[in-house]
Amino acid sequence: MDALVLGLVLGGLYALLAQSFVLTFITTKTLNFAVGEFVALGAFVVLAVASWSWLPDIGKVVVGLLVAGLIGALAYRFLVLPFMTEGEHDVRWLLSTVALSFVMLNLITNVEGPSPQRSETARLGGSVDVLGAGVSKQQLLIAVLAVVVTVLLVVASKKTPAGLVMRAVSQDPETTSLMGVSPRLVGMVTYAVAMGIAGLTGTLYAATVGASPVMGAPLLVASIAVAVVGGLSSLWGPLLGGALYGVLSEFASYEFGAIWGETAGLLLVIAVLVWRPQGLLGRRTEVKL
Amino acid sequence: MSILDQEPRTTPRNGDRTSLGSARRLSPPLRDGLFAVAALVIALVAILPGRDGAGTSISLMQLVGSMAAMIVAAVGLNLLMGYAKLVSLGQGGFYAIGAYASAWFILDAGWHPLLAIAGALALCGAVGAVVAVASMQLRGPQFSVITLVLAILVERILNEAAPFGRLAGYPNHAQHGTTGLPSIQIFGITLEPPMIANTVATVMVPVVVLTALVVIISRNIARSPWGSSLSAIGESEMLAAHLGVHVFRRKVSVFVLASVLGGLGGVFTTLTFAHLQPETFDIFLTITIVLAVVFGGSGTVLGPVVGAVGIVWLEQSDVLAEVSQLQQDHVSDSWYLSTPGLVGVLFILTLFLMPKGIVGTLSAAVTGRRRHAQAGEDDGAGLGETAGLDADSDAVPDAEPHAETVAAGQEDTVGKHLLEMTGLGKKFGGLQAVADMDLSVDRGQIHAVIGPNGAGKSTLANLLTGVYRPSAGTVVFEGRDITGLAPHAVARAGIGRTFQTPQLFGDATVLENVLAGFVDTGRTPLWAAALKPPSRYRRDAEMRAEAERLMRLVGLEQFAGLRAGELPYGKQRALEIARALAGEPELIVLDEPAAGLLATETAGLGDLLISLRAHGYALIVVEHHMDLVARIADEVTCMDQGRLLSRGTPDQVLSDEAVVAAYLGKPMEEHR
Repeated sequence: MDALVLGLVLGGLYALLAQSFVLTFITTKTLNFAVGEFVALGAFVVLAVASWSWLPDIGKVVVGLLVAGLIGALAYRFLVLPFMTEGEHDVRWLLSTVALSFVMLNLITNVEGPSPQRSETARLGGSVDVLGAGVSKQQLLIAVLAVVVTVLLVVASKKTPAGLVMRAVSQDPETTSLMGVSPRLVGMVTYAVAMGIAGLTGTLYAATVGASPVMGAPLLVASIAVAVVGGLSSLWGPLLGGALYGVLSEFASYEFGAIWGETAGLLLVIAVLVWRPQGLLGRRTEVKL
Repeated sequence: MSILDQEPRTTPRNGDRTSLGSARRLSPPLRDGLFAVAALVIALVAILPGRDGAGTSISLMQLVGSMAAMIVAAVGLNLLMGYAKLVSLGQGGFYAIGAYASAWFILDAGWHPLLAIAGALALCGAVGAVVAVASMQLRGPQFSVITLVLAILVERILNEAAPFGRLAGYPNHAQHGTTGLPSIQIFGITLEPPMIANTVATVMVPVVVLTALVVIISRNIARSPWGSSLSAIGESEMLAAHLGVHVFRRKVSVFVLASVLGGLGGVFTTLTFAHLQPETFDIFLTITIVLAVVFGGSGTVLGPVVGAVGIVWLEQSDVLAEVSQLQQDHVSDSWYLSTPGLVGVLFILTLFLMPKGIVGTLSAAVTGRRRHAQAGEDDGAGLGETAGLDADSDAVPDAEPHAETVAAGQEDTVGKHLLEMTGLGKKFGGLQAVADMDLSVDRGQIHAVIGPNGAGKSTLANLLTGVYRPSAGTVVFEGRDITGLAPHAVARAGIGRTFQTPQLFGDATVLENVLAGFVDTGRTPLWAAALKPPSRYRRDAEMRAEAERLMRLVGLEQFAGLRAGELPYGKQRALEIARALAGEPELIVLDEPAAGLLATETAGLGDLLISLRAHGYALIVVEHHMDLVARIADEVTCMDQGRLLSRGTPDQVLSDEAVVAAYLGKPMEEHR
């Protein structure tokens, strides 16, 4: 039971970050492999403005989100867009985002030092009892936020003009551009939102483990796994993938030791990809001649 | 059988035809021999400074060992990433497996060193096979993700599993009483790693020789039909399948090959350093291997070699550290980049400034100049050609009554057609795209399929060539049931095809495109591609002569050296037909061959198709162009809404009111 509750909560954290992969994948068919560094970026920006006593905590969190979002949009414009021009097999963007991740990680490490720093912004102390398992309030907040963000994104994509544009671009960017919508702009906005979510995740997560340059790396692996399991083309995917991945890895580490936790989760990815390459909730696109 | 073994009178011309830009070139066996000798010489010269075991040469020998390891890993990755366009982020994982497994087999398991190394490579191959089978349905980012997952898993296991000593490294004092693997002995020769002053680092000899061999073999593979099949897969898996390549198996094979070479890189590390630290096998390693390929030039033979040498040198020399120091002195002592960040910047700059890498950029410049010069020479010849398909009656050998003899042979098997479709149907979800279609064609016959847009013509072509699996009905070809076979199996059975939009290797030359059409692309075994036996040279020469004949047949002879993407549209169609012919098919399915052609080109196409018929080919032509259909077809099938609407001679069908109605709509009164 403990493993189930803790797994779901942990899955919530991964699901929140996985949402940023799904968002960029739906609209641009790209993934930002530097997401882990945007997590750290968000955390450190909030840390930097922590001393602004005139700004309430929520404002500081928004600053972190905006900065991460802005840099995310720029990263798309200058490091992703130029490297996805040659059709669907062109995955140079994958290399350029990995390179960006190196640069950001190195820069953050050189500026802030490698050791974790305590972050008090947007921090909920204490824990609550959920079905007999003690869950820290901060983790619960992140998990609840994952659900809220997912619902908001789904509603936005179904009900708002921006959501319509997003879905249109995802289905057929060329035709959409003929309708007067710039896929480039849509891509930048999506990257801004997605990296904003990553920055937000970083801020909230830093309150539990402290802000450090490498804080995003373990999250990156788990959340890519979650996004792939759930299906990169489904906004609901991260919640399902997060739940499965979280519970499975928590259960495996509970039973067999910590190293098996992550291993079990990654084996889940392989199993799902073999069985359903598009992920559990993803849609498969047919090749047309 | 086909026109392949006819036309003796043009063979003498092959001699001067092969001179297309290659007059100054050496014969292929000599060129390959020189390359091999050069590779071995360079490898041995690299370890000359260590011949007396002087202490000062140790670090240089270690650098050479690191480079050799990176070279073989990058060469392996290049086959996967540069040719088959499968970007793997897992090469570092195989490198780590190779390094740790060989060390563990030697020390803990006590195996003979050769057995230990073979075992480590076999383990890499086995892991590679499992990952490949698991990931082969994936493309692009998902494939990269799953390989990244593998690399991370391996890294975690090495960092946390007790038998490998965790951060103490392997071997370590606590577990093994030593921090270095014992020197290994093979056939009574002790192979010393470059560790101790005044001891000759004998292990470097097999390391560099093997590296040279790997480069030679990978060059053979890349330039063989096996290599073209990888490029075909990289271009389009569907196209590769239509060229007779078993795509799944080929992808698994190349992944396993890349994994084994990655593992060999790890083995070299073990041999050179005799001690392993888990933190050297992190994500940074896997990315460095990818960078080596991209930096040097992915999809080129020498690219990964140059890239690997360059990257290892950069990382191990003081250059990056100095750049980092410069920034701290002049910019800021906190906002600066050190080695990993600088490697990232280098990576981004490479992608921006040299997307083809060092070797790719250089060779593009050289061939560009050569082609430029050649274009000047060819000008006169080129002008005489009309810009379309022309089945110049001189190029096509006069039809021997081949068709008739074949047709006569067919009389024995009464009622058996070359191809016979019965009751063929295909449903996409609730949509019945094709329903209950019968169709047959014989050698020396052109069967045209017409019908308004959406009638199911292309679906029919795709059902026939194995792109779709029929929901109902059977297809029998040469008396054999081929219903539901995969595209590569259909192609091997003897059915070639062309596509609605020409599917060519745009960056490859016209000649290379035709060469890719031969059955060798799907059938050459890996060992033959790697070792290049004399029979390969003979077959290459044969294929080349045949390809040149086919190019003449479709009017492409003076474009042999041009990139396929630069051809005018009509010529691209002709090239596709030549490539289909190279596969020695009995039946060719042409999907709208006249779409987008000029009137003169269409006429040329008609001549070509008629001459193919005269040579005994069976043709199924899906076409909209009624003049063409009326001129060439023996039998016409008109489809509407997935069903047979009318069948008969062109005159009968084209004057059928139902056909006219399907195209132009019914007269108003009938709607009432």
